[in-house]
Amino acid sequence: MTMRLRMWVLALGGLGVAVLYVLACLDLPSFGGHRHPYGDRAVRAALARHTANTISSVNFDQRALDTLGEESILFGSVLGTVVLLRQTRDEDRQQPEPARVAPSVRRYALFALPVTLLIGLYIVAHGQLSPGGGFQGGVVVATSLHLLYIAVDYRALERIRPLGLYEVADAAGEAAYVLVGAAALPAGWAFLGNFLPYGTFNTLASGGTVPLLNAAIGVEVAAGVVVLLARFLDQAVEIVSTDEEAEGRA
Amino acid sequence: MSVAQTLPLIVITPMFGAALLVGAGRRLPRFAAETLGCLFAAGAAVLALLALAATGSSAGQPAEWVGGWRPHNGVSVGIVLVGDRTGLGLATLVSLLVLAALAYAWRYFAEPPRRHAGSFPALVLLFQAGMCGFTLTGDLFNAFVFFELMGVVAYALTGYRVEEARAVQGALVFGVVNSLGGYTTLLGIGLLYAHTGELGFAQIGNALAGSPGTPDALLIAGFTLVVTGLLVKAAAVPFHFWLADAHAVAPTPVCMLMSGVMVELGLYGAARVYWTVFAGPGGMPAADAHRALLALGVLTAVLGTLMCWQQRHLKRLLAYSTVAHAGLFLMGLAVLSPAGVGGVAVYVLGHAGVKAALFACVGILLDRFASVDEHQLHGRGRELPWVGALFGAGGLALAGLPPFGTALGKAVTEEAVGGWATALFVLVSAVTGGAVLRAGARVFLGLGTRPADAGRHPADETAGEEEPETRGGPLSRIPDTMLTVPAVLLAAALAVGLVPGLRTGIGQAADAFTDHAGYLAAVLHGRAAEPVPTPPPHWTASGVLWGLVATALAAGLALWTVRRPVRDDVARWTVPLRRMHSGHVGDYIAWFLAGVTLLGALIA
Repeated sequence: MTMRLRMWVLALGGLGVAVLYVLACLDLPSFGGHRHPYGDRAVRAALARHTANTISSVNFDQRALDTLGEESILFGSVLGTVVLLRQTRDEDRQQPEPARVAPSVRRYALFALPVTLLIGLYIVAHGQLSPGGGFQGGVVVATSLHLLYIAVDYRALERIRPLGLYEVADAAGEAAYVLVGAAALPAGWAFLGNFLPYGTFNTLASGGTVPLLNAAIGVEVAAGVVVLLARFLDQAVEIVSTDEEAEGRA
Repeated sequence: MSVAQTLPLIVITPMFGAALLVGAGRRLPRFAAETLGCLFAAGAAVLALLALAATGSSAGQPAEWVGGWRPHNGVSVGIVLVGDRTGLGLATLVSLLVLAALAYAWRYFAEPPRRHAGSFPALVLLFQAGMCGFTLTGDLFNAFVFFELMGVVAYALTGYRVEEARAVQGALVFGVVNSLGGYTTLLGIGLLYAHTGELGFAQIGNALAGSPGTPDALLIAGFTLVVTGLLVKAAAVPFHFWLADAHAVAPTPVCMLMSGVMVELGLYGAARVYWTVFAGPGGMPAADAHRALLALGVLTAVLGTLMCWQQRHLKRLLAYSTVAHAGLFLMGLAVLSPAGVGGVAVYVLGHAGVKAALFACVGILLDRFASVDEHQLHGRGRELPWVGALFGAGGLALAGLPPFGTALGKAVTEEAVGGWATALFVLVSAVTGGAVLRAGARVFLGLGTRPADAGRHPADETAGEEEPETRGGPLSRIPDTMLTVPAVLLAAALAVGLVPGLRTGIGQAADAFTDHAGYLAAVLHGRAAEPVPTPPPHWTASGVLWGLVATALAAGLALWTVRRPVRDDVARWTVPLRRMHSGHVGDYIAWFLAGVTLLGALIA
């Protein structure tokens, strides 16, 4: 297509979509109304199941199947990345060089690492009580480990990051969610039913299966993000194509 | 265990299998990984078949509220899975086709990534889980989640052969266009949720009935945006550009799944959303939906056919034939009647077997001769008579030769659309089938003159020199599994046209599928209501006759073409069409936006 035609199609199409969307938005309920049919029901259901964080109750109890699908999307994306960013036939792996790090950066990162790790674990563990949960906390935990790359170098990160173990943890998180969901079946519940005692409202042991499913997600997300980043970092740091290598030597 | 309780198991069985394969992947030898993959895929297939068999009458729409959030007075916070015959039938088709694809890839497929023997079957199992979830869910947002799951996995599977730049490009185009479709759908879901405060198909439909009258802009936009994403997956023009680019580079077993069932699931989603959400009072007037779907269907069928005929890259040729047939399916669904849905259901079943078998044959050529180019392969297929026979039978079936399921589906659908549509159905079938027969005549029979450029490396986008997908270079002997799979698939396509029980079942499934009020009553109140029965799909004299005409036309077209000298230059009138299919992702996005505008204008 010529540039001119392309731009015409884009402009007309974009204009049409904009008009459609703006007209639709004018028909939306006005801001600040009092009618929240789903919201009201979800809060009632969350309180009935002793889950203080309504969002976690929606994610891990009321619409737990959505979360299983979302977890599987992440799981599939990580697996897809492992496959696509594999070391191909025409690529070699090189040991990364030790790197010099400015002392102030090193001090900061080494201080921030345990703090970040702790915050991440806290966010996972308190998912049923306060804003947060497995998805958010898992990402924070994975981030904390990578502070070691900033503080020291890639080799240090690799030493605390046995990838095989993290891949197993990734799969275990996915499997655990399915198994907790299926454990409801012998108890006479539907799949993903909240079959455990609901506990005392606003304590760590409340919400029935919510903390368990939340933890499964936390494990899967933390391990998945570590594996995901490892694949990208490997490509950037370690893997070189044999052509480049030959050029480098010459 | 009731039928309803098995519904989630159909989805989680392949999911769990994928987790197991990844978890144990480092220790599993390849043989064990592939066996496990087949076992889990087969497990889901058995569950789906059992559930389908147990769903007795057409009124049976077992609904399972996940987590036990059953509705009180029609109100619930949970997600429902609905095992009506159409959903369960599609889940069965998905699972059987996944099993066929895994069997086809059995042991021959190129080395998986080092120490990740289970990754290919695991990805395919996740693909299966996403597709089964999509067919069974009764919730709009949940459908979006499973739609994204099958998308994400399909992008990775398409780019599987990362060593080739084209594979990465094809997967990227596929990913960008389909993700954009997904976001559009999500935007539409947001609008509908803001309007009704509900996410379930039945619940939204129920809420819309509270405000009958002509639809406002919000509802029109919501319908347009939700359906756009689904039509992207269904490869409707002008959202179809990704399909040929993705099919040209995807591994053969993945092509079998994408053309055989994933594209059709997009159509299923659009029809499901229309019938459950928008078909009642306060929804979309039937005339508007009919006009929009019919117009896009005709456009898709015509453009797909024109592009199909011009391809010499066999995978692209089959891909455009899928586009053309998706257009025919869309036309059938646009009738908005049980007859149209029933005809399309038969057509989709037959097409799945035929198209997957054709891709399987092309895969054998690719792995034997390292090419999928019609001209380069001229006469070289003579050493593979069985593959040639299967390929030819597939071409005839695609053209609509009775008694293949494709012929029955075509006959019933064209009759449901009526009038001039018969001519279009016959032409589309004849040209797409003729293109396959033409390629088959050149490759397997060596008919016609050997094209002059057969030996050199053509640079244009249609040439098809490829790396074989097998380990250790081209095959010297064709494995039995690779030959058995297409034979079984073609036999299944034949059975679709011949087994009377299947036709009655599909007829009842279509009656229930198009019964808006019945679906709402079954899901929200657990009341089974028998829908108004209509005659199931059946053979008619005119249907058989038109099928024979299309087949004869296809064979004549193929023979006439191979006898003429191969022209080096392309016909002048096709140049603008080819330029549209540039492989430039920016172009595709411009067309995508134009398509949303067109769809909105047709509906409004």
